Amino acid sequence: MNTQTTTSGSGTSAASDAFDQLKETVGDVTVTDPKMCARNVDVFYGDNQAIYDVSLDIGNNEVIAMIGPSGCGKSTFLRCLNRMNDSIPSCRVSGDMSLDGEDLYSTSLDPVLLRARVGMVFQKPNPFAKSIYDNVAYGPRIHGLASNRAELDDIVISSLQKAGLHEEVHDRLDAPGTSLSGGQQQRLCIARTIAVSPEVILMDEPCSALDPIATARIEELIDELRQNYAIAIVTHSMQQAARVSQRTAYFHLGKLVEVGSTNNIFTNPQHELTENYITGRFG
Amino acid sequence: MTSTNLVLLLLGLGLATFFYGRQKAYVVSKSHGGMRNMHSLPSQHGVMVGLWCVLPALLLVLFWKLAEPSVISSLLNSSIPASISEAGEKSVGLYKNDIANIIESGTASSDPEKQAVAERWVALSSISSWVLVAITLALAAIGAAIALRKISADTRARVMVERVVHWFLIICSSIAILTTVGIVCSVLFEAVRFFQQVSFVEFVTGTKWSPQTAIRVDQIGSSGSFGAIPLFTGTLLISAIAMVVAVPIGLLAAIYLAEYASDRMRAYAKPLLEILAGIPTVVYGFFAALTVAPAIREWGELIGLSPSSESALAAGVVMGIMIIPFVSSLSDDVITAVPQAMRDGSYALGATHSETIKKVVLPAALPGVVGGILLAASRAIGETMIVVMAAGLAANLTANPLEAVTTVTVQIVTLLTGDQEFDSAKTLAAFALGLMLFITTLILNVIALYVVRRYREQYD
Ligand SMILES: Nc1ncnc2c1ncn2[C@@H]1O[C@H](COP(=O)(O)OP(=O)(O)OP(=O)(O)O)[C@@H](O)[C@H]1O
Ligand SMILES: [Mg+2]
Repeated sequence: MNTQTTTSGSGTSAASDAFDQLKETVGDVTVTDPKMCARNVDVFYGDNQAIYDVSLDIGNNEVIAMIGPSGCGKSTFLRCLNRMNDSIPSCRVSGDMSLDGEDLYSTSLDPVLLRARVGMVFQKPNPFAKSIYDNVAYGPRIHGLASNRAELDDIVISSLQKAGLHEEVHDRLDAPGTSLSGGQQQRLCIARTIAVSPEVILMDEPCSALDPIATARIEELIDELRQNYAIAIVTHSMQQAARVSQRTAYFHLGKLVEVGSTNNIFTNPQHELTENYITGRFG
Repeated sequence: MTSTNLVLLLLGLGLATFFYGRQKAYVVSKSHGGMRNMHSLPSQHGVMVGLWCVLPALLLVLFWKLAEPSVISSLLNSSIPASISEAGEKSVGLYKNDIANIIESGTASSDPEKQAVAERWVALSSISSWVLVAITLALAAIGAAIALRKISADTRARVMVERVVHWFLIICSSIAILTTVGIVCSVLFEAVRFFQQVSFVEFVTGTKWSPQTAIRVDQIGSSGSFGAIPLFTGTLLISAIAMVVAVPIGLLAAIYLAEYASDRMRAYAKPLLEILAGIPTVVYGFFAALTVAPAIREWGELIGLSPSSESALAAGVVMGIMIIPFVSSLSDDVITAVPQAMRDGSYALGATHSETIKKVVLPAALPGVVGGILLAASRAIGETMIVVMAAGLAANLTANPLEAVTTVTVQIVTLLTGDQEFDSAKTLAAFALGLMLFITTLILNVIALYVVRRYREQYD
């Protein structure tokens, strides 16, 4: 497996051979205390298959990082975990997925309730056309989490503080959310998500629009949230994955190539593709 | 040769010189070591040559044709018999009219003297048109020759062509703007004449509308009263009824189409709904008068009311149906334009479909929806035909939708139809009404545009 001395030319073909031969994920996909489990998941967009036979656990109180080249299906897999793919008509999911042992795709499960428990932060910031305050208060309001205005204020302010946005916006909570800068909008979306206190938070490149300071703030937040929640984060930054996550999963062209503790993946990758990716020799 | 043929010939020449100029520019570019060393492309040189050939000649034709009639008629003055020119302006005019008639009908006149003048006129204008052809072609040739000589490596043909295009576009857009200004001015001047006869205050505060003015001074009832309030309240009442019908139905239909309907359903339902906007208003008018108004009268009598046979309600309801597509189509567009990402954000927080629509999609689309509603309202205010047929002509000052009312537009129509003197207060009142109406809908449109623009900015 670990062929470090190939030239780059034969390395590419060796890598594609390695991909074709890839039958099973390298490393242990299970954890002792799983929050969510995915088994043999295939995802199709129309006739195109985007995910091939992926099995992966997300443990309680852990941050799992998903890395891989662009278009390899990280977002697609993440969206399956709270059934956001339902709104894409051409998308078809097969395989088993569960949250606390409950089947996500069974008819008895209400996707609306599921999404209240499994929150999501999107790749592109998508604030509502409302004030900053109302953006954050939206979730608590529809779920009736606050019985009066003071409680709602508390939730909004503490969520904004956790997302590291409160200082910048505390004097203009009535301004429209869309008037914020891109990075501020993203932090607003994060505040919005944690305001409903979900059990699992799925983050799709939450920091791609943020400066290093805001990124550090979000990473701190992720670390705090880990005490109570399970978190899956997609990222293109290897450093970020190394900093915030306990486990790392490497995706390649729709397959889950390797899973392991973050430490092992970055210091001693088992699969050739993983190694190529994290050492900067793509695909 | 007629001037149409001349213009066609010029255009043909322009095309030919374009090709020739382009060819020449190729040759020049070869001698300069390739296209790289030319400031402009060969086709731009070609256009330059063509424009030099055509534009001055076309302008000449235009001015010639504008000046020709007056020049010829002043030349003819000498051949008009002294007896007539002494009799003054009016008889000279009549005499010239006769001659013009002779020329137009092509039949020989019984009066040999007039016949002679007419023949002279014809002869003069034929000379004029041949002279025009000669000068025009000469000008075209000179223009083309100058431009062909100009073709060289560093002629800025591209800049020149760009400038001509620029001015051409400016002229086109000024035509549209000037037409609008012209319409507004003509209405404005007539309205000012009206306000010289009837005070502005009476017009905007008076509650009695009976625009009967005396034809003779000694006639009874010679002073009409021009209080426009009943007309504006009538307009308001009918438009309000129309909006009450159109806004909920249109908006809900739009929400269904944009959010719930399957693609197939949408593909059929949306065009069907838009057909409503294509039905001629006269058809709506007799639908209102023959079907809706009698139905309303019957139902009204059933519950013990006595609606008049022509009612604001009938007109308003039918007008509302007419403007449903204005509301629904525009709202549907803005609702579908709300980014999917925003909906996803709401779903990801555990919101249901209807919560998402109510709390995220509609607020985001609201400015656009409001814009659509205001446009529909200005359409309702300007509508005439349905009201003429279903709401009557009686200028009642009432808020009761079961009574007959009339609107501003209907009164404008009745004031201007039939034989009228164009300087009586009665006809001038139509222009004053038109002006007020124009201002009202203008304000509505400005608000609508402003609101829609704000909406656009939100997603950029
Ligand atoms: N809505 C969709 N319809 C059809 N195909 C899609 C859709 N969304 C994604 N895909 C396809 O699925 C594959 C995986 O896409 P996905 O967005 O999951 O990649 P990704 O790993 O998140 O990439 P990136 O790092 O660039 O975000 C791609 O080949 C993409 O073309
Ligand atoms: Mg992605």
